[in-house]
Parts: sequence; structure tokens; C-alpha cells
Amino acid sequence: MSRLIEPGASVLVTGASGLLGRSVAQRLVEEGYRVTVLQRGASGLAGVHEVRGSLSDPAAVARAAAGQDAVIHMAAKVSVSGRHEDFVEVNVRGTQRMLDAAVTAGVTDFLHVSSPSVAHAGASLIGAVAGPADPQHAVGSYAQTKAQAELIAEARGASDLNVLILRPHLVWGPGDGQLTSRIIDRARSGRMPILGSGAALVDMLYIDNAVDAFLAGLRRLPQIAGQRLVLTNGEPRPIAELITGIAAAGGAPAPRLRLAPGLAKGLGAVVERVWALSEKLAGPRADEPPMTKFLAEQLSTAHWFDQRTTRQALDWTPKVSLDQGLALLREHIQTTGKVL
Amino acid sequence: MVSLNPRFTPIPAAPARLPADHAPGTRFPGLDPAWSRLVTAKTDDGARTFHVLDTGPALAARGITPTGTILAVHGNPTWSYLWRKVIAGSLERAQNGAAWRVIAPDQLDMGFSDRLSHPVPPAADAVSYRRLATRLGDLDALMDALDVDTSSRLVTLGHDWGGIISLGWAVRQRGQVDAAITLNTAVDHPEADQVPAALRAAMAPAVLPAATVTSEGFLKVTLGLAEQTLPDEVRDAYRAPYTSRNGRGGIGGFVADIPAENSHVSRAALTGVSSGLREWNKPTLLLWGPKDPVFQDRYLADLQSRVPHADLHRFEGAGHMLAEDRDLSTPIFTWLDDHFGAGREVRAALRSPAPARKVLGLHEQMTELARSERRMSPAVVDMTAEPEAWSSAEDAATGDRALSWAELHAQVDALAVGLTHTGVRHGDRVSLLVQPGASLTVILYACMRIGAVAVVADAGLGVRGMTRAVRAARPDWVIGELPGLTLARSLGWPGKRISVQNLSSRRARLLGTVTSVEALLRRHEGATPDQLPTPDAEDPVAILFTSGSTGPAKGVMYTHGRLGALVALLVEHLNISPGASLIAGFAPFALLGPAIGATSVTPDMSVTRPSTLTAQAVADAALAGDATMFFGSPAALRNVVATAGELSALQHRGLSDIKLVLSAGAPVHPDLLDAVQEIFPNAEIHTPYGMTEGLLQADIERRQVIEAIATGQSGVCVGTPVAGVRFALAPLDGLGRPSEELLDPSQAVGRLGEIVVSAAHLKAGYDRLWQTERDSSRDTLDGLIWHRTNDIGHFDAENRLWIEGRLQHVLTTPAGPLGPGTVETPVDALEEVARSAAVPVGPQGTQAVVVIVEPGSDRSLRTGRSPVAETSFAARVREAAGSVPVAAVLVLEELPTDVRHNSKIDRTRLARWAEKVLAGEKVGAP
Repeated sequence: MSRLIEPGASVLVTGASGLLGRSVAQRLVEEGYRVTVLQRGASGLAGVHEVRGSLSDPAAVARAAAGQDAVIHMAAKVSVSGRHEDFVEVNVRGTQRMLDAAVTAGVTDFLHVSSPSVAHAGASLIGAVAGPADPQHAVGSYAQTKAQAELIAEARGASDLNVLILRPHLVWGPGDGQLTSRIIDRARSGRMPILGSGAALVDMLYIDNAVDAFLAGLRRLPQIAGQRLVLTNGEPRPIAELITGIAAAGGAPAPRLRLAPGLAKGLGAVVERVWALSEKLAGPRADEPPMTKFLAEQLSTAHWFDQRTTRQALDWTPKVSLDQGLALLREHIQTTGKVL
Repeated sequence: MVSLNPRFTPIPAAPARLPADHAPGTRFPGLDPAWSRLVTAKTDDGARTFHVLDTGPALAARGITPTGTILAVHGNPTWSYLWRKVIAGSLERAQNGAAWRVIAPDQLDMGFSDRLSHPVPPAADAVSYRRLATRLGDLDALMDALDVDTSSRLVTLGHDWGGIISLGWAVRQRGQVDAAITLNTAVDHPEADQVPAALRAAMAPAVLPAATVTSEGFLKVTLGLAEQTLPDEVRDAYRAPYTSRNGRGGIGGFVADIPAENSHVSRAALTGVSSGLREWNKPTLLLWGPKDPVFQDRYLADLQSRVPHADLHRFEGAGHMLAEDRDLSTPIFTWLDDHFGAGREVRAALRSPAPARKVLGLHEQMTELARSERRMSPAVVDMTAEPEAWSSAEDAATGDRALSWAELHAQVDALAVGLTHTGVRHGDRVSLLVQPGASLTVILYACMRIGAVAVVADAGLGVRGMTRAVRAARPDWVIGELPGLTLARSLGWPGKRISVQNLSSRRARLLGTVTSVEALLRRHEGATPDQLPTPDAEDPVAILFTSGSTGPAKGVMYTHGRLGALVALLVEHLNISPGASLIAGFAPFALLGPAIGATSVTPDMSVTRPSTLTAQAVADAALAGDATMFFGSPAALRNVVATAGELSALQHRGLSDIKLVLSAGAPVHPDLLDAVQEIFPNAEIHTPYGMTEGLLQADIERRQVIEAIATGQSGVCVGTPVAGVRFALAPLDGLGRPSEELLDPSQAVGRLGEIVVSAAHLKAGYDRLWQTERDSSRDTLDGLIWHRTNDIGHFDAENRLWIEGRLQHVLTTPAGPLGPGTVETPVDALEEVARSAAVPVGPQGTQAVVVIVEPGSDRSLRTGRSPVAETSFAARVREAAGSVPVAAVLVLEELPTDVRHNSKIDRTRLARWAEKVLAGEKVGAP
């Protein structure tokens, strides 16, 4: 039986400021791993060793990698808008530096966090398998640069160290400021559209299940290195039901605004140009555009995946079902008064 | 007419070459260059070189000794490339002890073989062109030149002209040839018949050279006959030897050699082939594409008349280019293995289990009753008949709608004699386009008496389905009422026509009828067919058709013995005793009344629309026929329940005498059974399980249904096997494929699988569908003949069978295969739901489950205009589905169903629709 990465091992987690990174780091600590985190600001996490710095700073990256058994590389620039160069710097060059530092420091195992969008050219994904990353056809700067990063990581995996690629799809749940809170905010103000019939099947991933999958992936990494695995709940649902369900958990009414998918894509293209122009003139914007072509596609075409290989490789099945997740989200919002 | 070829430039001779040398730029997809060789043979007019595809060397290289050789002969204007898939199939299957060497020559002047010189254009009298007779000699020469082991098996295979030549050669070399297989071809052409239009144009002497040699016209038209447009590279491969004018002499030569007239130079050779086939007694397989505009079904009928023992598979939808349209390797090599392989003895020894009780002749009960003291009691009561239509003169006065046993017997005898006089023979196929009722019963039993085969294509198939079915069965006769005859006439259905009623001479001429049943009955009143032998158990008696809800309707053949076994089972199972009387709201059973010795009452209803049967019509039928049993389809039962409120007290009394209600054709909801029980207070209500291929296999009574439902299992419980029936299960794998190995139900409790059955009253076979039959009866467990039902389900510990859907409708979820019934049964029980369908979307093995619901009331269950169900209703459906994860719940006002039963949901269509909707595409109609 080959090696496992068990509690007690030293693990670096990058990108621990996001919901997923924070939750994974927290769980690793709870399970007894020795955890280092690397990010620019304070992590606010208890029981971790903190290295402050950015992926653009080779010295900080080297410091963080020193003495680690494994790295979970989650740091990335995630957005549907922004300057392409910024995405390249963080997602491509940042990954390159992290890998270099890990090899130099003698790290043997590297869990690279990617995204299903790296292999997605815009058509419907129906029970799709995790195809190879395809920077040429990926849509938008985020997906393109993440695709490049994945290819780099994969190549290093073939020569220098164990690399496992995990592609979580649409992580949501209490504390999620990306997807969950935006749906609820927009639904509350009546600005959340349903595109077309709202029937497109989409499969999301509840946060707790994502954390379990990462723990399982880290533990079994030496055995399953070389694979790329999409992570979802394995419960595709019509997108309208998902949006309505999340909105309802936040006490918002079911979205009434319906847009034709073609119109939404057209609007998205216009908005993207306006955003790009305003960023050119006034620098990066802090807010996100209300609609992009990418988002219009995400909201109107099917996105669900074949989870058989994933579940077998990780020896993992999601513990929290979609409906249980919605109930937990509602409870969280009712007790705390907020999503985050 | 101006000749299109005023001057003809002579065609020079050219030597045979390998394809790669002749056409270096052409790819030949599917063709291995290693199969190609050039072989010089001493033909009747000197040494000629043939290009031959030959797997001999390939087999030798693998150390395999062939157990036999297939000589495959192409037609015009193809070449041996036609056989590449069969060749590949032979090599895939080849192993020591079972391997077929395939030799596929290009005929002379064709493909890459020698080109002959032609000073004149092709014509029947142009001597430079090869003739049928010389081509037969060419094969002799070639087989001599090739190193063929004549002590091993030899089989011929042909297509088009190659069919004639290969069959002709087989007849000539009958001492050596062990079997013959042919695709579309014609071995005879009566001079009086018109040559098919598609060929006539090219055959006109003035046009022939231009159509075949000067231009690629004939070649391109032929390649265009493929069912799916051929890929460019395949087209190019077929064209490669014929791209130049000088390469196409043979194409014109072949067309000029078609001996359509008696004076044609090749007529004698053709007659030699066609008459020689009458003596041919070796195994023969016909593989036929019915959409061929040249080799039409009439040529198939001619072949069958010459080789009546031939096995036939008619590939519905395929045409002239059958070898491109369908996989032929599977039927060819399975068939060869059945005849010459190791499994031969095993298959030959297969038997059915013993029937439920002693099997009597189909006429025995009727004859006996006609001679008993019950002779004047009603045998057939027809509530649809006009009072005078079917009665003797005395009855007409009283308006009687019944035939007594004596009358029925006398009419059957008279009509049997009448039909014989008209020319209907033992073995003739008679299509019955007659509504169920007394007349159909008389005609059917008359046909059975003389050994004719009744073709029962019911209107429930729809006009298109019926046309396909009748064409496939190719009846010699059509007996019909006006609507049926009009349809037969206008759609050109085959068969000589006989009307039921007397027609005016003008009308008879218009419909092309030769006589009428009414006239025959009158003319032969009192006659008895005693001199006619009674049919044997092995003689075919009827061809019924499947409903066609999973593809084109299939003809199902029954023999006298197998139908007799069904009759025996019904007598046993329904406990039929003298005086029994049944109301037949479900056609197949109406016809069996006289054979089981029960009065059959046809209620006043439209057979094509069982849902029109009212409670009053059933009650009136019950009163008129002293009925004790009622058989109906679920759709009929639903309407009976819906119309029960209008019953009079007298009618209620009629229904209270019914002791047995039997619902057949599709599953029935328990709520409906309860409602039926209220209408028939003294009846046991049974919901048996069966199929066109075996009408009664398992049975269960209403109270047992309720008990079974309480156990909470998946699907619909159809009870335990009836007497003489053995079940087995072929468990499904993760991709929904049934195992080849059968398990006894006791070894497979709770496992989902295909239901397989063995019984004496199963079909004798599918009609003209050799491969379908072979596939359905491929199992040999315990030396029995089995039938794969295509139904899926499971057995429980009480040996009860639970049906969970059709094999084609299995959902292969990541958690394993699932029958649609598993989800539909509990969802159907929801108050808001009229009926539902569970269909898969996504790739095999990781499919998502989608439930499509037809609402039971006016309440819209959708979200706005979207088909997505409103959240609260979707939640209820998911709760009902229990542990099965339901990805989406969609709502449709009406689920599409089959025509015949109006109850089999078209899940394949729904799945395609759901796939589109759930991909996010625009929502259309399913």
C-alpha cells in the first residue's frame, strides 16, 4: 500500500482568504495537520503559521514552502472582469513560482486547485468528464489563465513532484461571498434574472462537501497524483431551481425577471466592453459587472459532470445533499442575519 | 430518336492492378491492402487476371486454419469493396476451429480486374461484353486458380448481379457448396412484368452507353441509394476503378446483360439459375433491404417461392446498399455458426416446456359444441353488427346478433370450402382487414381450417405502421371490409382482394376484388371441407404485430401447435367450462373464444380507440351474451369507470353476473382496479402479464396487488407465473446491458434484469426477421427455447414478478441501472399526477433522472411558462421517488403515447425532448 499524507504532516495552503481556502486550512488544523498559510493580509485563522506576502514575491513564496510536506495551491485571481495581465501575473506566473519554490524546498506533493471552466468552450456540459485544460478555447481571462496554470502544474507533475488537480465547481454555502451572497442580494432587489426556461441542469458543490473532498484528496495524493478531478455534489438541478432555492434560503422571493439567453449574451458583451473601457480610463474597479457573456452562458447552458471517477479516486461522497445544504444555509442566515 | 452515341470510340483492354497502384491518391477506408491480390485464372476465353480480396494469407499469418470459405460476389456497379465490413467481421471473429476465409473477387471488367476491349457500345448482341454464362465460368476458373480447400465448407454470398451469379454458381456446384447467402437480387423476371422504373431508363438501348459508360450516371445513382449519405471517402473508394470512361465498359455490359425479355441472349442462363434454385436444398439466408427501388419485395417473394426453406431478415428502413446501411457480419456469422458451428446440436435440441394441459386442434371445441346439446346456444355475439348483416334469414327477422355454435361451425366450413375454390391454399398468407366481430371470427377460423396464415395487422398501428407491416408480411390475399380494401387499393398493398360484403360490380372493379365472403358463404352453404387435411402443429397459423412502441412493429408468427398451447392455457387458467361467455374489449382474446369453447361477445366499440368503450356497452354485451368474463385494456377500463354513472338498474344486474375481469396490455393503477371492482361487484379482477410474443405469462388478482404494493418494492407487480411458464432473469450491468447468462428467479431475488421466459405458447418466431428472432431466442439454459422480453424488472422472494419498464428505457445512473417504473409508480400515486415518465439525460452510466409529469387536473404545476415544475411540487415528486435522486421535474400537458393501447408512453421521444430542454435549449414540443 502506498503512502498517505496523514495528520501531523506539514501543509502549506495558499489563498486561505477565500471561503474554501479558509475552511480547508481550518479543517486541516482540526485534524492535526501542521498548517502554514500564505496570503497578503492577516488570515484570522487560529492555530496556523502565517507567512504574509503575495505570489508575486518569490522570497515570500520560498519562505512559505520551506519545510512543507505538501502544498494546497488555491490562491488565484477570480473574477469575471479585470485586466488580462493581472490574471496572468497571479494565476500563471504565481503558480509557476509556487511550483518552483515547492520543488526547491523538496516538497513531494502538490494539490493544484483549478476550475472546470479550463476545459469549457461554452457549449453545454452534460455528464461531462474532466477533459484536458484548453487555454485556446476557454472563455474569459480567468478560465484562460487557470487553464495555462493547470497545464504547467500537470507538466511539473509528470517530472518533479506528485501533482493532483482538483476542479471544484460552483462552491456555495454559508460564508460564500462569491455566488451565494450575490444571488441573495440580487434576488432581494429583484435584479436576479432567470435566463430562458431556467431548465439548464447545473451541478454545484456545497462548501462542507468541498472541504471533505480536499481533505480526502490531500490524504490520498501520493496514490492518485496525475489525475484531474471535477468536484461537484453530483446532484444536477435546473438552474432556476437552484437560484430560487438559494434566494429562498435568504428570505428573498423567487426571481421573476426572465431574459432570453441570446439577449443576455448580447447585453453581457456590451457590459464587458463598457467595463473594460472604464477600467482603462479609471483603473481597476472594485465591483463586478452585472452581466458578462461568460455569466450568461453559465446561467443558460447545462453544466454537470460525471462524478464516478472523482468519487472512486477520492473515496469520497458528498455528506450534505443539496436540499440539506439549502436548509443549513437558511438556518445560518436566520441565526446570524447574514450570508457571510 | 437521335442516338446519343453517334460514334463510339472503342474501349481498349487494360490489365488488372492493385487498388493502390491504380488510384494512388485514393484512401480506401476500411480496406486493408494486405487483403488485395491479383490472381490469374484460365477462363473460358483465355487467361484473365482478377483483383481479389482474400483473407487466406491473413489467417495463415495468424496460424489459423479456416473451417470454411465464403465466396463473396459483388454486383453492378460496385466492386469487392462492398464486402470490406464482412471481411473485417470475419477476421475479428476468427479463431482456430471457427474461422471463415473470405474470397471476394472483382468481376472481370469491373473493380480492379482486367478490362476487356470493346469495339462497340454495350448491347445485348455485343459479343465483347461478358454474359451471365461466362461469368459463372469465370468463378469456376477463379476458384480453381485460388488455393481453396474443397474439403472444408463452402458458402456463397452475393448482391445485385452478384446475387444471381453467386446463386447460379452455388446451384452449378451444389456438390461442393454447403450454403448460400444473398442480399437484394432477382433471379427471375417474368417478361410480362415491367422492369422497375429506376432501371428502365438506363436500359433503353439509345441511352444505355451514355448512362453507364460515357457518364458516371448509373454509378452515382447507385451510390446515392444508401440509407445515410455515404462519407465522401467511401464514395471515392467505390468510384476509384470507374473514374475514366474506359474503366466503365463493364458497367454498361452488365446493364445490357439484364435478360428482361425471353429473347435475350442470357435468358437461358437466368432460367438455369432460377429453375435450379427450386432444387436447392442447402441452408440459405436472405438479407434484404426493402427500400430498394430496383430489387423490390416482389423479387424477394419470387426467391422465397423457389427456396421456401430460406431464412430471411428484412431490414426495415434499409435499401439497395444494405451492406453499407447495416451491420451484416453479426447475422452472417451467427447464422453460419448456427449451421456449421459447435452450438449447432445444442440449438437443434432446444424445446419448450410442456403446455398447461393437453393441446387440442383449434377447431375441436367448436366442432364438439356444434354437435352437442349446446349447438343452438350462442357462440359469437356481435354488438357492433347491423342486425341483418350476419344472420340467417330467420335471424334477420328477429334482429338477432348471434351465431349459434352450429351456425358458426357451418359457416366456417362453408367459407373454408369457398376460399379453397377461390384459390386460397395451405400456407397462403391472408391479411384480415376486418373489425373484430362475428365476421372476423368466421373468416379467421375458415382460414385456419385450410391452413392459410392469418395476417392480423390491426388499425391500432396507424396507417403508416399498417402499410409497413403488410408490406413486410406480404400477404397473398386480403380479405377486408370497405375501409380496409380502400386503403389496400390506394396504398398498393400486396395481395388479391376479397371483400366481406357483396359489392356492386362497379365497386368490385374499383377495389379490384375477386369475390366476397358473403357470396362464398351463400354459394357453398352446407359444404364441408372434409377432404382437406387438418393442419399440423408445426404449420403457421397467424402473424400478429407488436405495438411498435419501440421501433417498427414486428410480425410475430404463431403455429397451430403454439396457439393451441395458448388455448389450453386459457382453458386451464380461466377455468373455462361449458356455458362460459366472455366480453372481448381486447381484440386478441375475442378471436380465441371459439377455440376455448366460450361464447365471445364483441361489445359495441371502436377497436382502434379502446378508450371509447362505455360501461353501458359492456353491460349490454353482458346481458346479450350472458357473459361471465370481461377482457379489456387499461384505456377501456378507464372509460368504463368514467361512464359508470349512467348505468341503469338492469345494466347493473348484467355487470353483477361477471365473475372475472381481466385487464391486459399495460400496467393498471390500483386506484383504477378499486373503481373497477365497484362496477363489477362479484368479479375477481386480474391484471395478467404478457406480450404479443406470448399472450399470458404471469397473473395476479386485485387483492394480491394490494398485498404486494404494501411490500414497497419497485415497479408494478404482475404476479406469479401461470401454468407451464418458466421465467429467468438476465441481470443488468452498470450500463444497463442484460447479461448473457440467465439466472433462475430464486437465485436473483431483488436484482434488476431483463425478463426472459419459456413456455409452449410463446411465438414460433418473428416473421422475416431472422436476426431479431435469433437475438430474442439466443439463450439455451436447461435446453429450453427462451424469449427475451425486452421488459425489465425483478422477482421477489414470493416468486412475484415486478415490471419496471422496457430495456430501451433503462436509466443508467451512477448508482446503477434503474427501471423507469421504480420512479413512475410512486409518482403516479400522487394526487396531482395523471401519469408520469422517468427518462434519463446524459451519458450512459452517469445519467441524471428526469421525471416528466402529465397533470391530473387543470392546476398548472409549472413555473410560469417554463416546463420546470414549481418548487413545491418538484419537492413532492422527489419525496415520492425516495432514494432515487431526481435531477429535474418537468411538466407537459399530455405525454405522447402509442396508438394501439393509448397507454404506452413514448419515453424515447420524451428523453430526447428532456435532453434538449435541460441543456438550456429553446423549449419546443416533444
